[in-house]
Amino acid sequence: MPDAEPLWVTVVLPLALAVAAVTAAGFDAVLSGSAERGPAGSVREAGLRALSPLREALRLLVQQPRRTRAADRLLGRLGVLLVPVAAVLAGAVLPWGFRAVSDPSVGIVWFNAMEALAWAAVWMAGWGPNSALSLIGGYRFLAQGLAYELPHMFAITTAALGAESLRVGDVVAAQDGLWFAVWMPAAFVVYLLSALAMAFWGPFEYPVSRDAAGGASAELAGVDRLVFLGGRWLLLVVTAGFSVPLFLGGGHGPLLPGWAWTLIKTAAVLALLVAGRRALPVLRMERYMEVAWMVLVPLTLLQALFVAVVVLNR
Amino acid sequence: MLDDVIFWGLALPAVAAGVMVFRFDSMARATYALLTSLLCVGGEVLLLGLDYLGVVIVLMMTIEMAIMAVFMVMYMMNPAGLMPMTMVHNKKGAAAICAAVFAVLVAGILLAPWPSRRGRPPADPTMDLGLSLMGPQMLTMMTLGLALFATIVATVVLATRRGRYDRFGDDLKARTADDAVRGGMGR
Amino acid sequence: MDLRGVLRRTAMSRPAVLAVTLPGATELRLEAEAEVRRRGWPVAHAPAAADLLLVCGDPAPEDAEWLDGIERSMPEPALRIVAGERGRIAAALDVAREDLRDRTATRRDSSPPEASGDRRHDHHRMDHGQSDHAAQPGHEEHGHHQPADHQAHMDHMDHMGHDMHAMGEVAGLPMAERGDDRDELRLDQLHVPIGPALSDWPTGLILRLTLQGDVVQVVEVDHLPVPLGPRLPFWGEPWLRAARGEEVTRGSAARRRCAAHLDSAGRLLAVVGWDDAAARCRRLRDEVLPGASREGIGGDLRRMARRIGRSRPLRWSIAGLGELPADRARAAGVTGPSLAADGDAYDRLLMWLSEIERGLEELDDTRPLAPDDLTGPRGRLDGPRPPSRALLDVLPELLTGAEFACARIIVASLDPDLDELALAPVPGVAHA
Repeated sequence: MPDAEPLWVTVVLPLALAVAAVTAAGFDAVLSGSAERGPAGSVREAGLRALSPLREALRLLVQQPRRTRAADRLLGRLGVLLVPVAAVLAGAVLPWGFRAVSDPSVGIVWFNAMEALAWAAVWMAGWGPNSALSLIGGYRFLAQGLAYELPHMFAITTAALGAESLRVGDVVAAQDGLWFAVWMPAAFVVYLLSALAMAFWGPFEYPVSRDAAGGASAELAGVDRLVFLGGRWLLLVVTAGFSVPLFLGGGHGPLLPGWAWTLIKTAAVLALLVAGRRALPVLRMERYMEVAWMVLVPLTLLQALFVAVVVLNR
Repeated sequence: MLDDVIFWGLALPAVAAGVMVFRFDSMARATYALLTSLLCVGGEVLLLGLDYLGVVIVLMMTIEMAIMAVFMVMYMMNPAGLMPMTMVHNKKGAAAICAAVFAVLVAGILLAPWPSRRGRPPADPTMDLGLSLMGPQMLTMMTLGLALFATIVATVVLATRRGRYDRFGDDLKARTADDAVRGGMGR
Repeated sequence: MDLRGVLRRTAMSRPAVLAVTLPGATELRLEAEAEVRRRGWPVAHAPAAADLLLVCGDPAPEDAEWLDGIERSMPEPALRIVAGERGRIAAALDVAREDLRDRTATRRDSSPPEASGDRRHDHHRMDHGQSDHAAQPGHEEHGHHQPADHQAHMDHMDHMGHDMHAMGEVAGLPMAERGDDRDELRLDQLHVPIGPALSDWPTGLILRLTLQGDVVQVVEVDHLPVPLGPRLPFWGEPWLRAARGEEVTRGSAARRRCAAHLDSAGRLLAVVGWDDAAARCRRLRDEVLPGASREGIGGDLRRMARRIGRSRPLRWSIAGLGELPADRARAAGVTGPSLAADGDAYDRLLMWLSEIERGLEELDDTRPLAPDDLTGPRGRLDGPRPPSRALLDVLPELLTGAEFACARIIVASLDPDLDELALAPVPGVAHA
């Protein structure tokens, strides 16, 4: 069992997550740049495109925040702020190699609870500004939550079932030989889908999508916008990163140390998600809901049953 | 000492947020004040060493309050609580009932012969909780679960105006359902 | 210069642009889009996200009000520029950027942000709300709700509790009313005009929606005034000029049709949320239009059309939206691809793609266009009404009962071109 981590780790965690988020956003910017303006001609050009998330962040810092008339500023601000906070709190149980900032006995439930805070956060951010489009965006995330949450819970329960523990450290330890992704493929795929959904990013950006002029983020400007959309990237990094201890063997791997394997695997999952996004339109919830409840819920239940039978006969 | 500080640090906001539920004039704020109060209660349960129960309270209550917001839009579409509304009905009666319930509960707490601790707390309370729920009480829990689920299904069936004959035609042979908004499976 | 000034100048070196196009300025819009993209400036989809409001076209006096509204709802340092002439956009953007950089760099730090934000528009600063993305006239609909009415409701507030729904204004904003939903429950509904400043939206179109949740209950179609003038609608230009007797090659007409469909497809894909494909469509559009050769662009176009046509998620996502069978389309006077598609939004997208591929053959055809061929990208230009008028007429029927996202997709899949409305008596047709 990992020892109590020193205090400085708590400071490093948000910074590390932010660096990972900027890197992922940079990769995404390079890919969308090549779609919009053609492939980058030179390494320098590609580098400039990769830096665009940082440039955007600086621009939003300089831009003044604004207020809308008769807004509910308390809830709106709280919602905006809660997105990155929930991401970092969820990241606290994310093992870096074999050590996490904290490894409570119910780490998996903790992760799930923090990511549920994002439900409330996005809704509040959409409700706050007193604008119809941002309200629509906020409500879309609730519909999205109802669609992805059940299959998601069953998927992470399946991983906990396989390890017979809710402690993230135990789940990693149980994958010393065989990764869970190998014998729980359905749960793994459903987890990846819900990772995108809870970060409301990519094919699941329905709550902040373009058709509603940015949905929940439609009225956000300046720092508010940076915190909200940056928090979204943090959520994506954390949820994608959590698939590594849950399904991809955490820090287990030959030759390299645990932290390096975690890094490589997280980068691979993020790259897969960011690149896969290019091939998909936004999944609207009135369509996805039916798939989630009629296909994914039974599928994950069957997967859990299979794992339960295997575990009982071990 | 530290436990005391945390206890009071959570207890006071829990009560304050509970009071604010009735003071706010917007349903959204009242809902999230209630959530704040419940999150503090979840923190208190964590403080008792019941990790699982504490975190589950946080998880379930957050989702529950968020879903309450779905119903909110149906009855009040004005974003940002533009239209102030009072959260209290039957003020005098409610106050009397609340005071009475509070008095009864406090009396119960003070008068009940609380047992003193025997033995030591279990190493893994989550495991013990699971065993006591799913061990001797297995039949109760299974029946309860099924009954709850059946109630949900029955309520929805009774509430919907449209049945499968409306959706798939009198001979149930339509390939895709005739819905107001088409779903992803067409079923 | 101090470090803060330098940082501020750097931050504004690529301002976010919200481009708003007025009817009749399609060509300017294309030029602006290409220029902004070339510079790699971020494109804002809402006033809140923008630093620079770029108005393409000549604003009429009556446009001033809603344009002011949009500018007011932009965060500081908000700047508006008007690009009214072709070829001037690059220069205008350069000037605007310098202006923005100076403004941000010299901003006084002593004043708190809110005060400095309010500096220029003291009484307007917070003067916006639910209808920012739309025409301001939306408020007028609520003129009949008297403030006194509202006051009366407020007085009864305590007795009515949750049932209290004042139909009036609060803080000068129109309030929700009640109406039956599709399950016959009496629920709140909100009047939301959506309109000309939305991105990926037909230029100048305004829809006055009555929304319940995000379900569209009632639709009223409206639009910005379309300037009547000698200028022909951009997308129908080659055919109309040929009808006037001017020399137009078949190649340039095919090119225009191809670009028009790429423009429409790009819009639809952007609304559907497939940014990658949308960006590629727009890039190809900007290559086709100035005259990329068939050999140069044919491969890319075919690849892209195949990629979109084969995407199963896309089909799953938009099939069944906005069903417009051929007989109903014909009855409404719809011609062109929307009639030929004989189906839903997905079929219309496929029809655009197939017309793009068919047009590839003629791209470099130098034979003259027959003067009696008047089938533009959106339909027959010699009919009693311009083709886009018919597309606008079918909108209310198709949108009623749709959810907001579906409504946007349906509008994008028809993509009416409001420039055509200036066409009322088709020039040259009388004697064609």
